[in-house]
Amino acid sequence: MATPFHLVRLWLIQLRYAASRELAFRANFFAWVVVELAWFVLQLAFVGVVYQHVESVAGWSRQEMIVLVATNQLIQQIFTAFLMPGLVKLPELVREGKLDFVLLKPAPPQFLVSTSHLEIGPLANAAIAAVVGILALHDLHITPTLPSLLAYLLLVLAGLLTHYALLLGLVSLTFWIIQAESVLLGYYSIFQVARLPREAATGWFRILFTLVLPLLLVANIPAATLIRGLQPSSILLLLVTCLTAAFASSFFFHLGLRRYQSASS
Amino acid sequence: MTASLVALPTVFSIGLQRQLAYRWNYLLRALFSAMPLLVSWVFWKAVFQGKETVGSYTLAGLLTYYAVLLVVEAVSSPADDDFQISREIREGMLNSILLRPLPYGLYRGALFLAGRCAYLTAAVLPVALCFFLLSRVVPLELHSLDWIHGIPALIGSALLQFSLTLCLSLVSFWLLDISALIFLVYSLEFLAGGHVFPLDLLPAPLFTAARILPFAYEYWFPAASLCGTIPREAWMAGLGMQFGWAGFFLLFAAFLWKAGLRKYTAAGG
Repeated sequence: MATPFHLVRLWLIQLRYAASRELAFRANFFAWVVVELAWFVLQLAFVGVVYQHVESVAGWSRQEMIVLVATNQLIQQIFTAFLMPGLVKLPELVREGKLDFVLLKPAPPQFLVSTSHLEIGPLANAAIAAVVGILALHDLHITPTLPSLLAYLLLVLAGLLTHYALLLGLVSLTFWIIQAESVLLGYYSIFQVARLPREAATGWFRILFTLVLPLLLVANIPAATLIRGLQPSSILLLLVTCLTAAFASSFFFHLGLRRYQSASS
Repeated sequence: MTASLVALPTVFSIGLQRQLAYRWNYLLRALFSAMPLLVSWVFWKAVFQGKETVGSYTLAGLLTYYAVLLVVEAVSSPADDDFQISREIREGMLNSILLRPLPYGLYRGALFLAGRCAYLTAAVLPVALCFFLLSRVVPLELHSLDWIHGIPALIGSALLQFSLTLCLSLVSFWLLDISALIFLVYSLEFLAGGHVFPLDLLPAPLFTAARILPFAYEYWFPAASLCGTIPREAWMAGLGMQFGWAGFFLLFAAFLWKAGLRKYTAAGG
């Protein structure tokens, strides 16, 4: 039985191994920093074009929207660095029967699949997103208080857990569908919702993406905490929904795992 | 040459069968491709709050543009042709293709066509459902689509996207991993191609600059042609630019192929 301490140690070892593997391909590392930066610039350009024509969108000014987009980028890049690289390998592991090697190890398979790889490049982009967010806050003349800053960090972690839950759920489809590479496209498509100001959504869309898939909360609540101060009910809502999503996706993964048929003879 | 042309329907058929073997993957892809339209609807509805127009667009006109983009994407965007070609070069799978009396460009063209047909088949229902649902909340201007100007622009877009994909993939002769390059070009296609917003919402100098680049003719030009928002003379000039860029990339791909083959080492039995 693996204890939490044992798992943390295992993760650190895996991180060290993955980091040395990453740094063996330095040109690739810089190339991916540029790629991710280009996608972030694209989002900022979109904000720039929209706010050329309007003063505010759903009550969010240009600088507030930049804080929202930067927060979303920060969460997504941290997720892309630590958890996503391992998860996206699951369809290949299942299809080629290589999951056998994971299942034979004395640690929870979900943990091993999730933490097996690391990408360092996204961390540089997370830092750039943080700088862009700080500059936008500076333009808004906002200096976050210590409690709101701590709450922001906690909410960023909750956002990470939401990203994790959704992608784990999507890649777990691979136990039913042989070629599930398009789930990555699905992840990127669905997570466009996280960049929307929450107030822009109404009706069933708002309910679906708040209570079932809490994507409207992932970046909105942390950004609003920095801009408008602590809002306990919203914070609680994000924490509860992200934990529920994480438990549901973990259940789905284990359900799929029961269908897995080893490829060995 | 005649033997090559005779073989093309067979290559197309094999490509189609290979694509349809993974029906669920295709259906999921088609379903997810409708997501940006949904997000656009929610976002732009908020932008248009208390406003009749943004730039030259009404809300219905803008959402029609995004809806038409789905059609453009289904008809002309390569799926994973770039990664397939890259793998064929990197893993030495070209060997068996080189032995056949079939030009590689034509072979890939037939597979691209098969991929588009398979995707269109899978995408018809989700896209139609998406149009139907959206038209219940916003009066989409789908009845006034200009197919006469739209279809040539769609064909040009498919040709341009295929030729650009071919060029990017053939870089695999020199680089071990081209995925960063591919995703960098994706981001340019999204921004300068009019995928994120119609290019005519850009300030005039940037709009002019965007129309010089090939990316505008991948998405914005065919979508705007279908929507009928481009005057005839500008459309003629745009079509010339589109096919001009496609021709340039095809020639460049032929050059890369010849140069790459000199470097290619066939290994294995």
